[in-house]
Amino acid sequence: MTKIRFYLPKILLTFLLIFLTIGTELCLLVQHTALTQKAFETVAEQQHLDEKAYAALESYFQSRTNSTGIPAEVYLNAITQEDMKQGILSSISEAMEHLHFHIGDGYLIAMDFTKLEASVTDFFHQYADANNIQKDEIFNQKVQANLEEAEAKILYTADTFRFGTIYEHGWFDKLRKFLDIFKKIMTVLCICTAVILILLILCCKGNFSELLYWLGLTETISGLLISVPCLYLLKTDYFSAFVVKDAQIYAAVTGYLNYLTARTGTAFIIISMTGIIFLILFTAMQKLKNKNQTTAE
Amino acid sequence: MADKKQKSSLPVYLLTGVCLLILCIGVCIAVLIKPYEKAQTYLNVVFMDQSMKIAPSSGLNGLVIKENQIETTPAAEQEQLYDSGEVIRPAFGEQYAVLQCEDISLSVPVYWGSSAELLERGACQATSSVVIGEKGNSVIDAHVNTFFANLNQLEPGNTVTLYTEYGIFTYQVSEKIQFVNTNKKYVLPTEDDRLTLYTCEAQVLGTSENRTGVICTLVSRQFYHPAEEANS
Repeated sequence: MTKIRFYLPKILLTFLLIFLTIGTELCLLVQHTALTQKAFETVAEQQHLDEKAYAALESYFQSRTNSTGIPAEVYLNAITQEDMKQGILSSISEAMEHLHFHIGDGYLIAMDFTKLEASVTDFFHQYADANNIQKDEIFNQKVQANLEEAEAKILYTADTFRFGTIYEHGWFDKLRKFLDIFKKIMTVLCICTAVILILLILCCKGNFSELLYWLGLTETISGLLISVPCLYLLKTDYFSAFVVKDAQIYAAVTGYLNYLTARTGTAFIIISMTGIIFLILFTAMQKLKNKNQTTAE
Repeated sequence: MADKKQKSSLPVYLLTGVCLLILCIGVCIAVLIKPYEKAQTYLNVVFMDQSMKIAPSSGLNGLVIKENQIETTPAAEQEQLYDSGEVIRPAFGEQYAVLQCEDISLSVPVYWGSSAELLERGACQATSSVVIGEKGNSVIDAHVNTFFANLNQLEPGNTVTLYTEYGIFTYQVSEKIQFVNTNKKYVLPTEDDRLTLYTCEAQVLGTSENRTGVICTLVSRQFYHPAEEANS
């Protein structure tokens, strides 16, 4: 009966500590991995988003030739894969600025269109000269409209993570507020974890091996609870069923989700492994204790 | 005695761990079941392609294009044609007809659905219009710089024929039309059987907001199989 009286509080504390560990670790992952510039840049690099975005542009301008009569080369010779890479990186940094600091109105991807403007204008002028077309106000409007349309399409394609849409719907402001609350939640979770940990240490006072057992149990179970679903999602390739099939958006979204799942899974596997090491140490210490007691008898 | 006591406590430790794990899994399920049920609809929409899992590598953005060999001269066994029959509803991206007009030397495959990829391969029929052979307005469009370059040469009285896998449908041009792309008047469903063909207005460079085309009225509807046979 006395044993149960000492045993139950430890179970209860471990039970609480398991969920607090999960909560704290998930908060840390969101704060330091999920919503960071580095995460998006890594995904962009791993998934070769610049290559995919450029291929999408090629396909678009080639298909557009059928309805406009403007050769795709007019646009494609003025925009390179490197330009698309810069555009993608610019979209990421702009989004992160909006997310972490309020930087005013407008979501702007920085891309240099000087070469494109020269290429399109030259083509229109050469065509007009060759076909005796008057270069009047309507002609200039047509050149301008074509340029604006092409630039809008290039910027839209460079925004592979669709941050522009997120911005238009005011989600950056909502996410920023959510992150502020998140920081407070994380502080509370850290304090609670520390308090529970101290209580557990006090409960196991004078019995270090038993403390190792309860900590090992906490780490192992909390690790398993998250890493197993993560491994399942990665093993079944769940995110590849993403419904949007535009190559660059598909790669960006599935790449990001898989990256997050892998990072989360890895973090919790490490936690689980730590727990298992604690449990092994506990077993070894128990065995050593038994051996010492037998020798003493 | 002490050894016995220690040995007997090991299964307790083991059992505690297992029980705690089961308890935590139970708590997780109990807590997450409701949010999961709420999110399930959205998850099924966002990740609906579980059976296919196609990575868009072919440049078709996941679109499955099906080409069919459609005869424009009926085979001997199909000499017997019927006034009524069953239409076969095509899948999105499937070529299901061939549009021909001898007056302007036009012969173009018709795909069900409209996208940039399909428009490169032929004419496209809006899925909001009726399948050829059904009652109503069948609306077909194509690029002016490719398949419908000569569409503006069609005149009232010209004959347009649509060959499908289930029959031959003949129309006569009744009216030439022009409209702005925002005007949906000609692409809306109609009470009468008609075929609407349109394309962009030809322009020197760039796209036009104006559309030009023709309205054709149904002259004959000939199915390869009678309705009952098609059903069976």
